[in-house]
Amino acid sequence: MNPLAANRLHLTRRALFGKTATGIGAAALASLLGKTVARAETAPHSPPLAAGLLPHFPPKAKRVIYLFQNGAPSHVDLFDYKPKLREWQGKDIPPEIQGGKRLSTMTSGQKAKPCLAEISQFKQHGQSGAWVSSFLPHTAAIADDLCFVKSMHTGAVNHAPAITFFLTGAELPGRPTLGAWLTYGLGSDTENLPGYVVMTSRDKEASCGQIFYDFYWGSGFLPSKFQGVKFRGSGDPVLYLSNPDGMDRTVRRGILDDVAKINQLKLRDFGDPEIATRIAQYEMAYKMQMSVPELTDLSNEPKSVLDMYGPDVKRQGSYAYNCLMARRLTERGVRFVQVMHAGWDQHRNLNTQLKIQCQDTDQPSAALVKDLKMRGLLDDTLVIWGGEFGRTPFLQGDIKDTRQWGRDHHPYSFTLWLAGGGIKPGLSYGASDEFGHNAVENPVDVHDFQATLLHLLGIDHERMTFKFQGRRFRLTDVEGNLVKALLA
Amino acid sequence: MHPRFSIAITSLLLAISCAPISRAAATPVDFSRDIQPILSDNCYACHGPDAKARKAKLRLDTKEGAFRIKEDVAVVLPGNPAKSELVRRITTKDQDDLMPPPDSNHKLTPHQIELLTTWVQQGAKWGVHWAFIPPVRPEIPPVKQKDWPRNPIDAFILAHLEKENLHPSPETPREALSRRVTLDLTGLPPTPAEVDAYLADNSPTAYDKVVDRLLASPRYGERMSWEWLDAARYADTNGYQGDSTRTMWPWRDWVVKALNDNMPFDQFTVEQLAGDLLPSATTDQKIATAFNRNHMINGEGGRIADENRVDYVMDQSETMSTIWLGLTVGCARCHDHKFDPITQKEYYQLYAFFNNTPVTGGGGSGQTAPVVDFTTPEQKAKLAELAEHVQQAGVPITEFEKTLFPREEKQTPDASPAAKALSGNLVNELKRAPEKRGVDGLREMVNFYKAKEPQYADALAKLKKTIEARDQFSASIPRVMVMQDMPKPREAFILTKGAYDKPTVKVTAGTPAILPALSTPGQSAGSASAQSAAPDPSKQPTTQPSQPNRLALARWLVSPNHPLTARVTVNRYWQQFFGTGLVKTVEDFGIQGEKPLHPELLDFLATEFLRTKWNVKALHRLIVTSATYRQSSKITPDLFERDPENRLMARGARFRLPAFALRDQALAAAGLLIEKVGGPPVKPYQPPGIWEEATFGKIAYQQDHGDALYRRSLYTFWRRIVGPTEFFDTAARQYCTVRQTRTNTPLQSLTLLNDPTYNEAARALAQRLLTTEGSTPESRLNTAFRLLLARHPSAEEQSVLLQSLDRLKKQYTADKPAALKLLTIGESKRDESLDPTEHAAYTALCTILLNLDETLTKE
Repeated sequence: MNPLAANRLHLTRRALFGKTATGIGAAALASLLGKTVARAETAPHSPPLAAGLLPHFPPKAKRVIYLFQNGAPSHVDLFDYKPKLREWQGKDIPPEIQGGKRLSTMTSGQKAKPCLAEISQFKQHGQSGAWVSSFLPHTAAIADDLCFVKSMHTGAVNHAPAITFFLTGAELPGRPTLGAWLTYGLGSDTENLPGYVVMTSRDKEASCGQIFYDFYWGSGFLPSKFQGVKFRGSGDPVLYLSNPDGMDRTVRRGILDDVAKINQLKLRDFGDPEIATRIAQYEMAYKMQMSVPELTDLSNEPKSVLDMYGPDVKRQGSYAYNCLMARRLTERGVRFVQVMHAGWDQHRNLNTQLKIQCQDTDQPSAALVKDLKMRGLLDDTLVIWGGEFGRTPFLQGDIKDTRQWGRDHHPYSFTLWLAGGGIKPGLSYGASDEFGHNAVENPVDVHDFQATLLHLLGIDHERMTFKFQGRRFRLTDVEGNLVKALLA
Repeated sequence: MHPRFSIAITSLLLAISCAPISRAAATPVDFSRDIQPILSDNCYACHGPDAKARKAKLRLDTKEGAFRIKEDVAVVLPGNPAKSELVRRITTKDQDDLMPPPDSNHKLTPHQIELLTTWVQQGAKWGVHWAFIPPVRPEIPPVKQKDWPRNPIDAFILAHLEKENLHPSPETPREALSRRVTLDLTGLPPTPAEVDAYLADNSPTAYDKVVDRLLASPRYGERMSWEWLDAARYADTNGYQGDSTRTMWPWRDWVVKALNDNMPFDQFTVEQLAGDLLPSATTDQKIATAFNRNHMINGEGGRIADENRVDYVMDQSETMSTIWLGLTVGCARCHDHKFDPITQKEYYQLYAFFNNTPVTGGGGSGQTAPVVDFTTPEQKAKLAELAEHVQQAGVPITEFEKTLFPREEKQTPDASPAAKALSGNLVNELKRAPEKRGVDGLREMVNFYKAKEPQYADALAKLKKTIEARDQFSASIPRVMVMQDMPKPREAFILTKGAYDKPTVKVTAGTPAILPALSTPGQSAGSASAQSAAPDPSKQPTTQPSQPNRLALARWLVSPNHPLTARVTVNRYWQQFFGTGLVKTVEDFGIQGEKPLHPELLDFLATEFLRTKWNVKALHRLIVTSATYRQSSKITPDLFERDPENRLMARGARFRLPAFALRDQALAAAGLLIEKVGGPPVKPYQPPGIWEEATFGKIAYQQDHGDALYRRSLYTFWRRIVGPTEFFDTAARQYCTVRQTRTNTPLQSLTLLNDPTYNEAARALAQRLLTTEGSTPESRLNTAFRLLLARHPSAEEQSVLLQSLDRLKKQYTADKPAALKLLTIGESKRDESLDPTEHAAYTALCTILLNLDETLTKE
């Protein structure tokens, strides 16, 4: 018998034949809840962690916070300063740069493609001299903690496929997301909270039609226990968390004890280890009911910390609230926190909306990095800030109508930043051409980015695989190169 | 018996599959079972069917390749491992020569090396992958325990158990069996009266009578539909941005009816894949083809129509391949399949069958033509009236645009110089007559002109309103998207990396060469019942298709010599009853799929399915009347150690009921269930804000009231971007899903404990117990057990639960307001004559019962 099966059997034998009731519960808990050991009958493939295969090498980061900026922030207005665009303002971008590349139908039919210079002001910041726009003062202030990748590029030109690509390595839905891969591979360090938590917010004006599809945190072909648990923006953060009206904790406790008693009888008579698991999961549900309210109780947060995140921090469902919650989840051992914020899709409201959008997100994003740093968590927490693509360096709309200025989707070059968890701080890596159109120096594609992220977590992206439909799938599909220059 | 099955299962296989079975005497190595999986898994990525990925021009997936002799070096020299390069390469210490290469992350185990060496030693017999050879009806194997088998299934299972020195489990008690089979065949628990009737029937056919009654019940079709809807990615919205509603539910009702009518599976296949192409196709046969159009529709602004269309066609052909072929043809979308003999060209040949509808991929309507339209005359009149409103609202727009966009008379406004600087979206709107414009475009126009041309903007806003009114009414009328081929097939091409805009070589519709040949157009390949749908080839439509069409494809799938369809189908049903397929990879019968542990049983079932003319109910009867199915599901430590996953089936299946069945069971036991077959989807309880949060407030969940709250789960409205929250471990209904998953998580416990559906069911069940005259706590507990578990409680259980009841009574007597609150959950009326504290205590007691492991489990 191979060691996996032996291990599994050992656990289940313990679960089965433990002498006392608590013995059964404890064994089941240890094997099932805390450390993500998949069940034989529910997961045909044993998780790598249980097999002692992961991590492949010592990790730099233990956990990830992904601040996903849905809609695609405009790189040429925020990070990628291109004086050439000012020179060429209003003139069509040279065809040899644009090169007839595929665009969304929103501009593919537009005959003129006039260059549009940044609508903000750029300045260099910190020791590293990173270029950051005046729209992002708080981000600019921590520039030396950040690593800007300015040569990102992707294959998709529409939101849903591009976001899915970033999160799963494939454009069409159906593959496991980053967070699912990581909780599958590395397990969770918390017994009272899900290992993979997702929170969403949107801009206050609701200017943007982006939808948060549940496949953005799906487990694909991995067992569904690895899918992200979406914390809701109102009411109970976890669905069905609260006891029904008229059933207090004492009554509930009694009910659970009685359920467990009868289930123990069943276990004794039937010997099905799944019963032990069920007993444990009901207990875990009870613990979650305790720990989630504790998680969301901000009364012990110092005012200075709350202030750092800005005025929206106490509003459940706001980006600021979610950033603070990301830190609190991280502290409690959650492996992967995915904060998604929609509102960056400025097709025709660049001059009005981009600044507001930045105001809503700049301060909380920077506060999160600072907060983690103050607590010593930044060293082994990887923070990622970025969207699914960039925006065209040329105009969508009429150059005379400044109120309606916009930029269309742009996959050929864009910027994202990383911080903490083994990333080299104060680095600006790669570059686009002088129009900000194409990634030309050290281009990084999405699979490269994913390979690097996994590397920081101690995982060789080519070796963490899951066999499905006869094929060993990986996050990076058949691509991906580690970008060593980004590592500290 | 087929030669491939003549070899006993050996210890070699068992070691590979880690199956929990003892070693038997060593026997010859079998290529298909022992060798091909090793080659496929470790070598084919570089030495397999994909010519582009092939290294050293060596292929190991064909006999010619593997036996190649080049420069006096034989890859495999039968009988001579020492002179076989393959053996040298897998055993060498030279890291440069070692295969698989160390950097490939593949490594052969010593056992695999031994197997390959032995295989060469024994003469390197070559063979074809088992699943590509049509099933041959195997002989029923002899068994020692002759009084156990009830039908041939049992002979196959028992013969295997006896080889392993294992014994089947005793038959499960009648009560438990009655619950198991009723849940399996109808998705609902048996009533106490049904259990009593079965217990009282001493005739030898008592159980068969139960099975016949269940198969005849209309609940059967409702139960059996679920997995088919998962496979068919059925939902009530499009998915993607906007996620607009569609009206495909008449197709769902078609499925329920077809299953209840026991439509033969070949006809079920032909009508769904190609009912529209049958001669004089009926409306029902056209509706059946909605199966193909259940795919997601992407209405995201900026999407290129043809890109969408290609996605849809791929989805259609891949769904067909997963469901009927059990092959992962999607792997050949970008390159030749890495493991199975399916080329990229063949992928696009399958694609070409679905490539011929008039669907362009444009727009995002969930009622995109071709449709079967259910509009009534009254609705038609109302639609005409609303269209007239739109027309009227368009008149002032036309006037405004004459002045705002000066142009030549015959031109549309977009041709005006005044339109030159407008955005693409606005120009698009101006191309169209006012009444043909879209709501989103109009919204954009209104915003654009609000300040500049307020009067024009007002008129546009009015137009938008009338269009919305028309569209909203129109969308509520069922129009079922169906299939229809254009007279001239659309040209199909191999697409580089699957990209819609990178066509290369032109292809025509066709089926993979590894499978039996497709009949030429006009010939019928179906069995008797499929032919009855289209009896006479001479009565084919007058326009002969220039290449084989979907009808030919569908008939080919159910032709008697097809090696896959029957196997794949019976295997899926086996999974449904036993929790795991005979081939665990129900979606993959290819070389990388699992080799069946009971190949003869699989082939027996497949050939039996054909012999009975694809009779699904007969297949289900055969399964549930077998001794295998009727075993107790108790697990002994020894048996668990030997076979933790119960692949040998020395015991009955025991697993958690699917979430949809849990809800139905609770409603039924509580007496809340409303049994009405079919109709538009319903919206039961859902926590507030779920849809709103997912759609930024654009779509609000409007919960139904009354009977609609208590319909079977099958009828619950399925919003694709955020599915019903009360179902867990369920297919997402975004893509074809055939593999069932079962997890056990705390979030599931929270749902079952706190979802108002279950709280209300507990209250209603409590009321049911309390309103039974002359009852005592003991008798009430007994009734509850019988409603949920079809049995009486044991003395131990009774003692625990009566103590619970005492405690709960005390707790609620001490807190009457809490009792009243608990009783207000759910919209069904409570019997106010009942003492609220007692009612609440019983409600809490019923919550315990609804959460017992046994309640949640098919035992």
